[in-house]
Amino acid sequence: MANAVIEAHDLHKVYDGAGAETHALRGVSLTIDEGEFSAIMGPSGSGKSTLMHILGCLDTPTSGTYRLAGRDVAELDLHELAEVRRQTVGFVFQAFNLLPRASVMRNVIMPMLYTRVSPDERDDRAAAALRAVSLDEKLWTHKSNELSGGQMQRVAIARSLVNDPSLILADEPTGNLDTATGDSVMDLFRTLNAEGRTIVLITHEPVIASQAHRVIRLQDGLIVEDATSANADIRQYQGGEA
Amino acid sequence: MRLSDLISETFHSLTSNKVRSGLTILGIVVGIASVIAMLGIGAGAQKSIEDSVQAAGSNILTIMPSSPGGGGGFRSSASSVQSLTSEDAAALAELPLVSGAAPEAQGAGQIVTKSENANASIIGATPAYQTVKGLTVKWGTFLSDRNNKTSAQVIVLGSTLAEDLFGTDVDPTGQQIRSGSMLLTIVGVLEEKGTSGFTNVDSSAIIPLTTLQRYVTGSEYLSTITITVTDEAQMTAAEDSVTALLLSRHGISDSTQADFRIMNMADLLSSITTITGTFTALLAAIAGISLLVGGIGIMNMMLTTVTERTREIGLRKAIGADDNVISMQFLAESVVLTLLGGAIGIALGWVIAVVVANLLSMSAVVSLDAILLAAGVCAFIGVVFGYYPARRAAAMSPIEALRYQ
Repeated sequence: MANAVIEAHDLHKVYDGAGAETHALRGVSLTIDEGEFSAIMGPSGSGKSTLMHILGCLDTPTSGTYRLAGRDVAELDLHELAEVRRQTVGFVFQAFNLLPRASVMRNVIMPMLYTRVSPDERDDRAAAALRAVSLDEKLWTHKSNELSGGQMQRVAIARSLVNDPSLILADEPTGNLDTATGDSVMDLFRTLNAEGRTIVLITHEPVIASQAHRVIRLQDGLIVEDATSANADIRQYQGGEA
Repeated sequence: MRLSDLISETFHSLTSNKVRSGLTILGIVVGIASVIAMLGIGAGAQKSIEDSVQAAGSNILTIMPSSPGGGGGFRSSASSVQSLTSEDAAALAELPLVSGAAPEAQGAGQIVTKSENANASIIGATPAYQTVKGLTVKWGTFLSDRNNKTSAQVIVLGSTLAEDLFGTDVDPTGQQIRSGSMLLTIVGVLEEKGTSGFTNVDSSAIIPLTTLQRYVTGSEYLSTITITVTDEAQMTAAEDSVTALLLSRHGISDSTQADFRIMNMADLLSSITTITGTFTALLAAIAGISLLVGGIGIMNMMLTTVTERTREIGLRKAIGADDNVISMQFLAESVVLTLLGGAIGIALGWVIAVVVANLLSMSAVVSLDAILLAAGVCAFIGVVFGYYPARRAAAMSPIEALRYQ
């Protein structure tokens, strides 16, 4: 049996808004094993962003337990959360979030600046990550804002790989890309998954979600469906969205 | 984070917006440069005044004509009052505490040689002038008593004046020059002396007092009597006896009605030091205000930068940068900006101090203290004005920061 990367039990998240409390998560339990490729789906307001923030250790749950790669992170302080993010999670964002005036290499090396990796090893790791996302070597010295959207997202994915994280968390990674480029990025995620990477994708697009092996559907802070993509009732969900 | 990485990241951030970094640095450069220049020029002015007063000798009393009843301080042009005579000087020389009394009258005129001419102040003096002023003769001799008795048309040139008229290292003694109606024979040239007291002897010409009185001023009155006192410890007593003698010679019973005043070099030195010190402090304070403005400029720029780079901060935090590392990165940027500005400012201020001092023909004194002060203030400004923006960057929630448009 595979090791669990994510073990969440009965997660609640309550925000103190102005006057009213917002109950973003109402008891989410979730286990994701090493090597899985899952998509978390849901309309806006379903709590999927909140769940992603907690899974990515950007935020802590109000109650419930969360173990990431075997470590209980629900009660860590900000300092320790930063350390977990550094070592265990690789983020990929919708808007890529590259440093615009910095070279591709510099962008990919950046997460390692906050670790104890030696400068020589940093270069090696960055090169390996850029090869893994099949980015043309000629582009490595270019500034990131000289690249196309698809190339930028490849650089961002390479950046998420360099600290060898247990979990890659991709938040709407194809949201800013056209369909063809989005497909090639999804192909890349599938390749990385085939190489053994654990990937969690957050999306509201059924077409994208269906490319994952497992689809977890969230509504009103609760999981309403958790199935393999072949069995998931994506059509019905699509109808619901429309 | 490694120090080398911190430096590299800081350098990269600052160079990615060169214009803004440059303008921010400029604020600090102007502040530091003006502080350094003001302190340098102020200290230089103080030193040159002290030097010239000391060169004149601290055992010297200078007596000048003065309008009666006017109290202390500087008054209407001394030359408008005529009260001192050669006889006063002769009487003063007889006082027990006085070792020499040099009467002096001043005029100005054009001095003409065969090929050159120059405007110079012409000093009428007696042989006592040489000893009282501590002058040495380079070529020829100084004026003699006989020259004064006969109102001889002879002249002694200051070193600069001689060079202007005859060129460097040319002994002009024996040659004749014209000034007004006089045809003067050069009997001597003085060694370079530098500014001493109130007159620059180097660029003056000295002729017998009687000659000056007869041919130039047409008056028997003096502009100054300079007295040397036998013992520096007796300056006050000497001053009192000089005052008493002159009052009785001029028939004045009330000392507030005196038609002369006495200047004591030691008093003069201390009051000049106080004035220049106050002045320097004032200028440095004004310069300090511009430094403060520069510091606020740094804070302003850093706050703008923090806002502008909100998403970058969010990203750095998401990929695992600690709050402390974030705030260190921003603090490093502001400290590097101020230190860079400070270094350029010190260099620029030094250059300004030297150039301005040169124009005022003195030397600037940029002390190590002033440089250390400037460097310290820079580091302080960098940390103080960088701290708030850096904390603000560190305190951002990564979730909010990543969402920021």
